[in-house]
Amino acid sequence: MKENGHELGYAFALPRLIAWLAGRRARRAEFSRWEAYGLGILVFGISCVFAARTILPVVRPGLLRGLSLLLLPFAIWIAYLLLYFFNAQIVFLLRRLRLYSAPTNNPFQHIVIMSVTTLLAILLLQDECAWLKSLGVFWLALLALNLLSIFILKLLHEA
Amino acid sequence: MIFFWTIFFFFLAAPARRAILSNLRVVLPGSNSLVNLGRAWLTLYNFAWTISDAADHKLAKTEFAFVTEGAEFLDQLATAAGAILLTAHMGNYDLGAAVFAERFQRKIRMVRAPEADAETAQHLNDSLERAGAGAVKVAYNTSSMALPLEMLNCIRQGEIVSIQGDRAVAHVSQRAARLFGEDVMLPDGPFMLAFVAQAPIFPVFIVRTSFHRYKIIARTPIHCRRDERSRESVIEEAMRDWCRILENVIAANWSEWFSLVPIFPER
Repeated sequence: MKENGHELGYAFALPRLIAWLAGRRARRAEFSRWEAYGLGILVFGISCVFAARTILPVVRPGLLRGLSLLLLPFAIWIAYLLLYFFNAQIVFLLRRLRLYSAPTNNPFQHIVIMSVTTLLAILLLQDECAWLKSLGVFWLALLALNLLSIFILKLLHEA
Repeated sequence: MIFFWTIFFFFLAAPARRAILSNLRVVLPGSNSLVNLGRAWLTLYNFAWTISDAADHKLAKTEFAFVTEGAEFLDQLATAAGAILLTAHMGNYDLGAAVFAERFQRKIRMVRAPEADAETAQHLNDSLERAGAGAVKVAYNTSSMALPLEMLNCIRQGEIVSIQGDRAVAHVSQRAARLFGEDVMLPDGPFMLAFVAQAPIFPVFIVRTSFHRYKIIARTPIHCRRDERSRESVIEEAMRDWCRILENVIAANWSEWFSLVPIFPER
């Protein structure tokens, strides 16, 4: 039985390009836990940070603030579940109108989640706090580098 | 998402949590009860991932990376003219069967414990048959005599019959065995089938090692050969061999043993 357990595979173009620059072969596959968990934590983290930044100024007593911070990740999780559900309904409608034909909802969900995170990152850019601003910059830089990597890999593939 | 769902089910699925804890107490003797709560959470977390991965494979045909341990036994299984694949409620057995059937172009008959809910059973059937591109057929382990004869026929026609041998369900043939030093009841059907069909039993497990990565563990085949000994002693020896393999694999991969009912006697 042929193994593929030692192969490098990344869903995003940026790590594939980095691997190529490092002289290693990587293909398009979702094999990397760093990529999956890293992106998941980043998306979730940006949402949590943004929500905390919005909620905390209106919550006064310290105890209530602590409780809000504790419950916030669960609230964000529920919000994401609702967003996924809402997206699924949109995809259902698009499928009925024959405007969406992918076998799964994943591409649509991916675009929506990335767009929401990018929007939050842009809003964080306008914050006065330096580290919140840098979080926004970090996301936008990753996004830009990934788009650039797609372009470079396409050119390399043609060459 | 899976992280939070696991927290949710960890608190809500109390019977499953308690079963994992009671199994852990035996598998890891002397282990700390508090740490075992964390281990139970990790087991449920891995369980959630395997469900998600199986769905991913079924719907999106997502590719998984895997390494093998005992590749020579897997090759033997792939070329065997009729065999029994004996596994456990461990790792991603549904995905494993589908991938195996697809890669080796072999038909697999998967024997499962009956589902309590008819709709769930139908969903599982459809999922497995779709994931295995029609090469995986599900049969339910009931008290009916028709199933063993059907399976015997399948083996004689060169098919592979996959059975989970780490838990005996009510109304199916079972006998006492020693697992981790405890008396347990395990199904003896696979061994009787192997004895009658004179087919080898291949212990195979598929465990999740990381994100979208799996390890297929295949162990030395167990034979129930007819010889001067009685049928009973041949089967009992084969079951002892199976128990040693189970102990070895479960002890090394306790967080992947999804036996969500208590296996061992209450203490």
